[in-house]
Amino acid sequence: MARMKFLCDAERCIECNGCVTACKQEHEIPWGVNRRRVVTLNDGLPGEKSISVACMHCSDAPCMAVCPVDCFYKTSEGVVLHDKDLCIGCGYCFYACPFGAPQFPQDGAFGLRGKMDKCTFCAGGPEQDHSAAEFKKYGRNRLAEGKLPACAEMCSTKALLGGDGDVVADIYRTRVLTRGKGSDVWGWGTAYGKPETRQPAPPQAKS
Amino acid sequence: MHGSPAWGCAARCVIALLLASMPQAFATTQQQTPTQQEAARQQQTGQPAEAQREITQPLNNAPFWRDVRAGDKNAYQTTQVRGVETNVLIQNEGEIWRRIRNGPITVFGGWLVVVAFLAIGLFYWWRGEIMLHEPRTGRVIVRFTSWERILHWTTAIAFVTLAVSGIFMLFGRYVILPLFGYTVFSTLTIIGKNLHNFIGPLFVVCTLLMILTFIRDNFIRRYDWTWMRRIGDFLKGRHVPAGKYNAGEKVWFWLGVTLLGIIVSATGLVLDFPNFGQGREAMQIANVIHAVAAVGFMALSLGHIYLGTIGLEGSYDAMRHGTVDETWAKEHHDYWYQDVMARRGRKAPGMPPKTAPASSMQEGWKL
Repeated sequence: MARMKFLCDAERCIECNGCVTACKQEHEIPWGVNRRRVVTLNDGLPGEKSISVACMHCSDAPCMAVCPVDCFYKTSEGVVLHDKDLCIGCGYCFYACPFGAPQFPQDGAFGLRGKMDKCTFCAGGPEQDHSAAEFKKYGRNRLAEGKLPACAEMCSTKALLGGDGDVVADIYRTRVLTRGKGSDVWGWGTAYGKPETRQPAPPQAKS
Repeated sequence: MHGSPAWGCAARCVIALLLASMPQAFATTQQQTPTQQEAARQQQTGQPAEAQREITQPLNNAPFWRDVRAGDKNAYQTTQVRGVETNVLIQNEGEIWRRIRNGPITVFGGWLVVVAFLAIGLFYWWRGEIMLHEPRTGRVIVRFTSWERILHWTTAIAFVTLAVSGIFMLFGRYVILPLFGYTVFSTLTIIGKNLHNFIGPLFVVCTLLMILTFIRDNFIRRYDWTWMRRIGDFLKGRHVPAGKYNAGEKVWFWLGVTLLGIIVSATGLVLDFPNFGQGREAMQIANVIHAVAAVGFMALSLGHIYLGTIGLEGSYDAMRHGTVDETWAKEHHDYWYQDVMARRGRKAPGMPPKTAPASSMQEGWKL
């Protein structure tokens, strides 16, 4: 099975926020929740670079490790998903995540955050594929339709790549060899640097 | 590697300042070259070193990516997404927090509570309840007013609720989840988390009122040191002189209620109100302190609960009904007993008690 990975090419990203818009549109995400965001480094200075970042679906996912109710699971394709029915909205995944991926619909007093929401790699959730419940909670399940994540598909400069990690790495390697610079695979060391610690489980393993 | 970015950034800034100021020092008597003017301008505008390096070393991205780990300390790091710390591309502290929480706090904290519980159980099995030596007189002394009792039990119920829900959130995944399964455990933890978050502020108020209410008789006296030295005698049921509260109760008041109570209250409020926009680092630090203090608080509370219920005859009645028998007061808190007797104008202790009048029970209640 392919290991799904995201890669953002900082030499190509032009901070158009097309990926952010595509994500919001595809999954009909409520206001205030941003599964994906673009961060610009050295904004307005020589050498400005932008990176589109969302959940990187880490190998040794910190969110998964700290969740008090163990609501996360990993698909056979390495996609980190979670069960919103189990989520207690404590925010621990948000403390632990290096990428700031976990989002909460509220940040109310008395810790009323609501159920955590994050990038699913367009792979839905534990509900039945393409069901109304799955779409409402997790958004569209494009992987089950045989498609890749909407953000990467919509990227105007193809800076954001999402899919089989080996294919993504091949594309990037070719680019680096051609242009002779910009070989920094941003975030991969943090996200995939550690060996897999948990056996992938089928989506319906819990609840 | 994870703890160093702040220092690394500071060191780089110092070096950059030194390097930038050196040519200026030499250039004071001669005209500045355009490069020097550019460097000086960049120094004044506070642009980071990467921007300058981009001109001289366009292909060297390594320092650039290292600086990304400095997070929002980089003023030129922006995003269109509104919110707290959304311009931070990567945060290192989460990994440290994860290791501390999932490591020592869960492992040692869990075993601390278990060992404390087992130690008390073992002691009870070994020594049993500490009984009164003399028969009860039937005359009672008021130990706790109704305000003190209402406050105590409100705090106690809040404490137990917080402790149980806290145990669910910290250890439940390893201990309770395997027993109940995902759905039931999650439902219980959702209830527990909301109880924790709503009862927490009540506990903060109770803690402050507890301190104000009970501080008067909890100041450390000379005889408390004697009591501490003779704690073994106390546990064997021998007589050790004490004031209204013995040194053990004073330790619980100062270390438990006051110190740990204030620590868990302050850190708990940081965690309970994310609407004030505090960052992740504040919450990670607050969470670590909160968990460490709470685990210690729970372990200490087991001792207090034990001696207040099954460990010591008559102590539960004191907080339940507010009164204690004169024999209990004399055997456990004789200095306090003498004070009460002196205030009442009765006979000094040690003398054979007067035959109890029929109305003494009523008198006791009225005091």
